[in-house]
Amino acid sequence: MDAGDGAAEDSVPQQPRQPPEAVATGTSRRGLLRGALLGGVGGLVVGGAGGAVAGRTLISEDSTDAVNLGTKYPFYGQRYQVGIATEPQRHCLFATFRLAPGATTRDLQVLLARWSAAIAVLQDGRSVGSVEPTSPLQPPRDTGEAHDLSPASLTVTLGLGPSVFGERFGLARFKPALFSDLPPLNGDFLDPKFTGGDLSLQACADDPQVSYHAFRNLARIGRGVVVPYWTVLGFGRASAGEGQATPRMLLGFKDGTRNIKTDDQMAQFVWIDKSDQPWLDGGSYQVVRKIRMLLETWDADRIGDQQEIFGRDKAEGAPLTGTKEFDHPDFAARDAEGELIINPLAHIALSAPENNGGVMIKRRSYNYTDGLAADGQLDAGLLFISYQNDPQHFIRLQNRLGANDLLNEYIRHIGSGIFVVPPAPEEGHYIGEALFA
Amino acid sequence: MTTTSPRRWLLTPAVIAASALALTACGSGSTGGAAPSAAPTGAAAGEGGISTVNISLANQSGADACTPDKNSVPAGPVTFSIKNESAAGITEVELIKDQRILGEKENLAPGLDPVTFTLTLDGGTYQLYCPGAGTDHVDFTVTGAAAAAPTGSAQSILAQGTKDYAAYVVTQVDQMNTAVGELNTAVQAGNVDAAKQAYGKARPYYERAESAIEGFVLPGFPPEDNAGNLDYLIDMRESTPVDAAVGWSGFHAVERDLWQGGAVTDETKKYSSDLVTNVGKLQGVVAELEYRPEDLANGAAGLIEEVQSGKITGEEEQFSHLDLVDFAGNVEGAQQAYASLRPGLEQIDADLVKTLDGQFVSVQATLDTYRDPNAIGGFKPYTPELQASDSAKLTAAIQPLHESLAAVAQKVV
Repeated sequence: MDAGDGAAEDSVPQQPRQPPEAVATGTSRRGLLRGALLGGVGGLVVGGAGGAVAGRTLISEDSTDAVNLGTKYPFYGQRYQVGIATEPQRHCLFATFRLAPGATTRDLQVLLARWSAAIAVLQDGRSVGSVEPTSPLQPPRDTGEAHDLSPASLTVTLGLGPSVFGERFGLARFKPALFSDLPPLNGDFLDPKFTGGDLSLQACADDPQVSYHAFRNLARIGRGVVVPYWTVLGFGRASAGEGQATPRMLLGFKDGTRNIKTDDQMAQFVWIDKSDQPWLDGGSYQVVRKIRMLLETWDADRIGDQQEIFGRDKAEGAPLTGTKEFDHPDFAARDAEGELIINPLAHIALSAPENNGGVMIKRRSYNYTDGLAADGQLDAGLLFISYQNDPQHFIRLQNRLGANDLLNEYIRHIGSGIFVVPPAPEEGHYIGEALFA
Repeated sequence: MTTTSPRRWLLTPAVIAASALALTACGSGSTGGAAPSAAPTGAAAGEGGISTVNISLANQSGADACTPDKNSVPAGPVTFSIKNESAAGITEVELIKDQRILGEKENLAPGLDPVTFTLTLDGGTYQLYCPGAGTDHVDFTVTGAAAAAPTGSAQSILAQGTKDYAAYVVTQVDQMNTAVGELNTAVQAGNVDAAKQAYGKARPYYERAESAIEGFVLPGFPPEDNAGNLDYLIDMRESTPVDAAVGWSGFHAVERDLWQGGAVTDETKKYSSDLVTNVGKLQGVVAELEYRPEDLANGAAGLIEEVQSGKITGEEEQFSHLDLVDFAGNVEGAQQAYASLRPGLEQIDADLVKTLDGQFVSVQATLDTYRDPNAIGGFKPYTPELQASDSAKLTAAIQPLHESLAAVAQKVV
């Protein structure tokens, strides 16, 4: 929804960067067939027409919406951490942590090593230690709620906040020049409860219980060194990967039609390369914004206004100057009265790369809900996550949107964080190891 | 701490003996463990130098393997050096004999530098236990006999610690007996202010001693009968459903009258004198209690669990808001139990001792910020406002300690 309606409609399907592996052996702690049975099958509805067995009817042969819960992603030996270019999974637990007051540099080092090892095991679909220890006196190492679940395409992406590179841990010399806390931005309505953090974990999977299990066990491993600070459980991916249909966010519009999708775009706009900190080559900057949506007022807005705000129609997602979703918007086109067809303050106009010096950011957002607000309104919105190789790309876009976007009447940026995601480790190593050499 | 269904197991000597046997018999027998057998005969060895065993943890064709570079060393000091090369699923290595952990290293992960621990080993069959490895038990033999028997094995030190701790509990209950006597004097005199002060002085003794709560049971009562449950009779909270057959009495009934009612009634006087009676009975009960090392560990962890579930939530002292007084009492009781285990535990897992030492210091430092010499019990009242602003901070301080204490029992069995 937010910044960076990047031009990607011409993209050519790419090979996945990290070839996912469909589990085919009995080594996983989790069941295998659940995912396999669903593979290639479209959405199932209960009680549909057609009299299929047990009241279930297959309504679609469209395989792009299918999920194979047996899919798993490798952790080691990838140039990039997974969870950035990876095709978005259906659910995501995003969490930030603060380092405990007494935590030392050594504590941080051991934590990154323990987390890396645990992520490797979790992504492989295994438990992090015994669920049922043989000694009756030992608490279970793994909390167990994912014991017999499939890997579900889990990816855990680990980020380091600007504070890690302060004087406290003696790591200031590893701080890239581009990296600092986000400055105050136009449109900020930030709640300190959802702002900042020293470390971040983004745990996405096609099963929310697998996501939550990963977060919970990593938080437990970190107990004493880090304290969980704020978390958001995202559901219903609001961004698409290559080959996925463009999903919708809670305002009902498609999100990410012009998202970054190709390797060339990733290389140009997402991956850090040849920076002033060589250890970060292959990394990326992660920006997270918790964006509350004022759903009740939005729902009562007339469709004409909703479409003007976005600059697209709602059902197809076509720009108002076109008829199909991937038609290129024409920001100069005028109607019979000589008015611009796409309002220059429409969301897609302000964020389009052609109106921002060609800049694009990779969005990987999810919808969220925190239940009901104190005033009884729906408390929900977008867990916006973007990746870019220069934080200024996001900052410029958001300052522009925050100042003028017609959508601002219906959204509030209530949470924020920025982290740098180092490259993935080789086997036998851990994320951020270069910091402690 | 009381709930309607307290966990209770008797800490009588007979039960202790039976449990110890059961534990030994059902230990960790998952793979390839040659049963401990007679030590090989032969000449003493190991004089002079220290033997070194390098243990490599590595991913071999998709399975995590735990491989020592030798399976046999002469008796004497042995240094185990462990390097996790690439085994993401292994984070700890233990040296075990007769189901007992003799030494251990945790927080092993690929990419970290090697770590070591050194033990003086006598001849016999040992096992390296590497949870998560494809073959998680690896036999390890020590030949000959140690030149000098290791002084004070961990187990004998731990056994002494349990005796020290038993004496500590007896002392606390003795002092509680005096303190509830003073409380009772004030209550019978109808002096509300003096009674509140005395209540604040008496509470910490109970909170320190309640690690042994499973043993606070009068002889001859079935487990489900609250009439024989001294924890129920002394520490039952009003917020918990009350057993109608036994009624409600004890500390918190007195607390309610003093703070909520602000007056001493005939009922209050009855509660107070009952409290004196029941604490007197408790004196008799704790004098007979004996403990195993793991009882101390579980008790300490249980006290810290209490802090999280009853004090930080503000449930324990809902009328007086003396929850931080109880908090401090629980921590002190846990610290005392830990201190009794510490010398033995240090031989088994020195890293854990270091971690726990630091965590106790950290919790105490946090608690110190709430001290108020003018307040009843010496701590600021834990008002709903203070709870709202500070409970997350208190939780963050106490949770790591709980996690570490929960890891102690398995090591001191």
